[in-house]
Amino acid sequence: MMSDTASSMAGKVAWITGSGRGMGQAHAILLAERGADIVVHDVLVDEAKATAARIEALGRRVFLSHADVANATAMHDLVAQASRALGKIDVLVNNAGVGQHRSIEEITVEDFERMFSIHVKGSFFCGQAVMTGMKKQQSGKIINISSIWGMNGADTASHYCAAKTALLGLTKAWAKELAPWNIHVNAVCPGGVITEMPIKVQGWDKIRAKEKKVPLGRWAQPEEVSYAVAFLASGESDFITGQAISPNGGETIVGF
Amino acid sequence: MSTLAGKVALITGSGDGMGRAHAILMAERGADIVVHDIKAQPAEQTAAAVRKLGRRVHVAVCDVADVAAVRRMAAEAASVMGRVDILVNNAGYGQRSETQAITEEDFDRMFAVHVKGSFFAAQAVIAGMKERRYGKIVNISSMWGMTGAPVAPHYCAAKAALLGFTKAWAKELAPWNIHVNAVAPGGVKSGGPIKLDSAETLKAKEARVPLKRYCEPVEIAYAVAYLASPEADFVTGQVISPNGGEVIVGY
Repeated sequence: MMSDTASSMAGKVAWITGSGRGMGQAHAILLAERGADIVVHDVLVDEAKATAARIEALGRRVFLSHADVANATAMHDLVAQASRALGKIDVLVNNAGVGQHRSIEEITVEDFERMFSIHVKGSFFCGQAVMTGMKKQQSGKIINISSIWGMNGADTASHYCAAKTALLGLTKAWAKELAPWNIHVNAVCPGGVITEMPIKVQGWDKIRAKEKKVPLGRWAQPEEVSYAVAFLASGESDFITGQAISPNGGETIVGF
Repeated sequence: MSTLAGKVALITGSGDGMGRAHAILMAERGADIVVHDIKAQPAEQTAAAVRKLGRRVHVAVCDVADVAAVRRMAAEAASVMGRVDILVNNAGYGQRSETQAITEEDFDRMFAVHVKGSFFAAQAVIAGMKERRYGKIVNISSMWGMTGAPVAPHYCAAKAALLGFTKAWAKELAPWNIHVNAVAPGGVKSGGPIKLDSAETLKAKEARVPLKRYCEPVEIAYAVAYLASPEADFVTGQVISPNGGEVIVGY
């Protein structure tokens, strides 16, 4: 094992769901900078195209999709098409997601189903679709983006919290089920991250107040989450499976 | 990938095994290294490997359980190398005894090396880290510190105590932008298990790991190097366990 090349993503193909903006876009760009070709995937068409353009500018190949992650058949089609275009898929980052700050009483059946469809069902069938090829090549990396709220809950958005916890369940179970094929499955649980979503939903005043409650006194830039994703996507983590890395500034420290 | 250029890393117990792997990988990534070991000859060998990579080295030979010696080591390292940015509390050893066989000396030594050694090594380097408002402490725990084992309870508890320091220091030192994390290795093909287990036993143990193998020391070093790098500047109070899926615990 060459220590100086294990972090390289050269020759790998990575599929990042929800990579049109925010953290997903940051993951796509960092992995491309490290040599990976990228399946850029987002229901937001213009955003996905913008990410794709930045990756092509880095000299990497791109396959672009706008399919809905909640549509299982579409995910199987996406994998077939992307594998034809780029040769294979080595890395899946289940990043697509949506936040919704609602109390228990406010959560409608539609809210509930949408939350679990995107995060849980979406991640499950993206994983199912991609693992056939990974099993054949006896190697693969699946990274589920959970959240600190999936680790210890929050005083709102219980459907989001539970969906993110379910991703930790998939992580642990898949690590065991897929180990015989040398497929490594891990989770990243971001804490506060400065992306468009919280800026729009909460505003800067609230973000600044929340940053003060983090032991490190700040929220992260999206790239700081990408570094954890890239570590788990690389050969450097070939003995790591079933684990979670939580870049959260010390806000959440749980049992281990 | 992640650069450690311009950083000084003190790695306890870096004369051989995993500690040496940490020293070499971090040197490859640009760090100058304080090589510490209780034995002079292995420390010199690691130091030679680091020098070959073009990095500066300072060698410290002492028992980490000797608080005065650890303080001298930290002061000397700071004056020779300029400062210590990264501390890897790696020095340790295994002892496969059952509870009834563990003597008071066994018990005291286990906690003196792992727990007291790590505590006072950290205490000795944090003053400088606080001044510079930047530092990284990586405590080497063990998968046995997370889950226990049917043998070596003093080792398991000492490794668990390192997780306690990790969580507490992450909170206490965050105001100075000092990041404290743990790495909890699973099976590693390094000195310890190879000396203690026959080839056959080792093979049987590897068969029980979901990924069907023990890892090379460098695979632990990758996790340490990630946590020691600026890429992990928002990661504190956490643990990474490269264990091949053998241990998957609550998070």
